[in-house]
Amino acid sequence: MKKILALLAIVLFVGGTAMAQEEIDFERKQAIDSLALEKVRDLSKYIKIVGSKETAWSEANRVIDRAEELFMTNAEIGVSSLHSTKIKYYKVRPYFEHLMRLNYDRVEIEWYNIEYVSDLQRQPDGTYVGVITIFQTFRGYDKEGNLAYKDTTKKDITVYVKRKETQIGGRMIGFWDVLLGDMRVKETANK
Amino acid sequence: MRKRVPLILLALMLGISAMPIKAQSVGDFQMDETHLYAMTKQMGQFIRRFNYEEDQFGNKLNPKDPSYRNRQKRQQSLAILFDQQTYGSQPDLQRFFIEDVTSGDSTFMTFLGGRWYSEVSATFKYKGKPVSVIMILGVEKEGLGSKWVLNNIYFSEFNKLFPTGELTEREKHFLHPMSHELDFMNIYKIFKEPEVIEYYASKSFEPDYRTLFFYEIKRGNLVFQNVDTVKFHVFQIKDWYFEVSWFNRSGNNAGWLISNLIYLPEKDKKDLIKFYEP
Repeated sequence: MKKILALLAIVLFVGGTAMAQEEIDFERKQAIDSLALEKVRDLSKYIKIVGSKETAWSEANRVIDRAEELFMTNAEIGVSSLHSTKIKYYKVRPYFEHLMRLNYDRVEIEWYNIEYVSDLQRQPDGTYVGVITIFQTFRGYDKEGNLAYKDTTKKDITVYVKRKETQIGGRMIGFWDVLLGDMRVKETANK
Repeated sequence: MRKRVPLILLALMLGISAMPIKAQSVGDFQMDETHLYAMTKQMGQFIRRFNYEEDQFGNKLNPKDPSYRNRQKRQQSLAILFDQQTYGSQPDLQRFFIEDVTSGDSTFMTFLGGRWYSEVSATFKYKGKPVSVIMILGVEKEGLGSKWVLNNIYFSEFNKLFPTGELTEREKHFLHPMSHELDFMNIYKIFKEPEVIEYYASKSFEPDYRTLFFYEIKRGNLVFQNVDTVKFHVFQIKDWYFEVSWFNRSGNNAGWLISNLIYLPEKDKKDLIKFYEP
């Protein structure tokens, strides 16, 4: 799937620099949304793997490496709960390591089907910025198999989309580079 | 892993035909996504629902699609953008608003359309003690795009410094017009009562709270702690003002919703907007 999307990204955006400063039309935006969603789905998958108590430590670390590659350098994850609006900030790796160390015997992490993609807005340097909202349920069980903790969180993930060019066989090929930025994790009243 | 989940309540709420019901099971739990579809999840979604630029499932509509900004669908979509705990009991105002914004010369909300502001309430430490500060931000175009910028500050400690005094009291404080001939020997009076020093300023003087805010931050007296709440004030729609707040609650009336609606003719907006964009 990833390969298809990457190919799609290149094929859709071949054509030099003409498009670089122009507004993106609807169909193109949809293609970019798909690319961004693919990154977010990868992130969801990585959170689930790292959170699982069945994942070996070495495997979890390998997955965290992959997760870090999805994000821009210095991206932060801001977490708050229903009890406190105070936001706790994590860098990507410590966030995953925290998830890995949670003290439950068994953990269930599941994603709702909702993936809400905002419109893209341009920031002053021309980079497009969007936010994708997803929802996750988390359930932690103790040794006796009792539910010890549960929550549903809304995750608002910044997506940066930048048009880049690369030279292939003497030809300039345009493509859209998608990277994740800061992520806001907020507990919802839905259980 | 991802499965289509029930949307019947949302569908009914929006007056459309029901879709098949399925449930997603996680362990012993059933996950019903209906309320999450209904929730206005982002302010951007509020704008898209306000204009009917997305369908009831959050899919963006192509501007060429006949449903895009469809008046009838927009009327239904607008109705779900109100906090029902406030506006459930005031349907007339809500109905009037919906009819007005969807009438012949429809009004749409746009991200770069100006006259909408974010109110960010935050906790700071002022000289070591926690205090609440309100920051007003607006979207400003710059370079190839736009950014949020600080437009104004409300901090009670600053406002206390510049109370609106009685006119009779203000009129007692001035430097007479021949003071220059005396080398302003009387200017010391200005500094004798610092609490009313601004009475000696020109008529056009308005305290600039942003400058005070920056000054206190730079001096290290005011230290940011955390954001408490965010809401939006929208003046962009002709003859209306509304406030959009985040409702973190279960059920189908949640997320970014209109928490205050006022009929406000354009001529009356100017003075109010001064606070949001001095």
